[in-house]
Amino acid sequence: MSSGSQSKRRRRNSAQLGALPLTSMIDVVFLLLIFFLVTANFAQQEHKLPAALQTEGGGYSSSDLQPQILQIKMQSGEPIFVMGEVAVQGRAPLGAFLAKLPKEPGIAIKSDPMVPISAVAMALQSARDAGFIKRSYVPTDEK
Amino acid sequence: MIAVDLTAMIDVVFQLIIFFMFTSQFGELRRTEIDLPREPGDETQARLEPAMIVDLTFDGVFYVESVETSLIEIERLAKQGVMTQDPADPFDVLIRPDRNAPAAHLDRLLLGLSTTGVERWKLATVDQGGGAP
Repeated sequence: MSSGSQSKRRRRNSAQLGALPLTSMIDVVFLLLIFFLVTANFAQQEHKLPAALQTEGGGYSSSDLQPQILQIKMQSGEPIFVMGEVAVQGRAPLGAFLAKLPKEPGIAIKSDPMVPISAVAMALQSARDAGFIKRSYVPTDEK
Repeated sequence: MIAVDLTAMIDVVFQLIIFFMFTSQFGELRRTEIDLPREPGDETQARLEPAMIVDLTFDGVFYVESVETSLIEIERLAKQGVMTQDPADPFDVLIRPDRNAPAAHLDRLLLGLSTTGVERWKLATVDQGGGAP
């Protein structure tokens, strides 16, 4: 085969490749790229733990059942959960203890000022998991 | 019959869809990055967006819409919200606290909110495999 016919064929091939509609393909690829960027989760999925807000000495009428008060304290750098004379530490013992309590009066959670908020969240979560519908948090007034 | 060129219209429609999807995502990103308590939360909560979101850092600084906000200003905003609330949909506040922050900061915020008539609040959490030990 002569070199002239070979170069002619090469020219014809490049002309066919040049006819590919690259513009619309790039357009579609960009759109797909943006779509996957947008639908990807940027932030962690957040959840919510609802609670009522109660102030000390207020919010209950005399006909209401008094809620059981769960106090969170710090002991040796770890949070402990105290109700009456019972004190428990850790998620599983707290869950087991709350499961035994009557649910109708509800539960009020109080915490000492230096307790980490993660312990408050644990108490609210455990109360919710134990089946308490009426859950309230009583902020402590340091004044 | 006149041939209508739909290509350009579809292109524009796609761009608009992507624009609105992006702007809705930015609404989520406006929140301050905070190490939230690791709890699964309450999945039964149907309502998606609370009336007000307050971020609480480890040092006890409050942020509303990623802007540092004083407790007095938060109370003013909450009071406005309570006054204009729909009885069927009471005003509630979502608090996004640093999990290691002392509860004293949370108490200070909640005491302030209680003076404005707020009765419901929610604690934001992230689910990381059943919660911290």
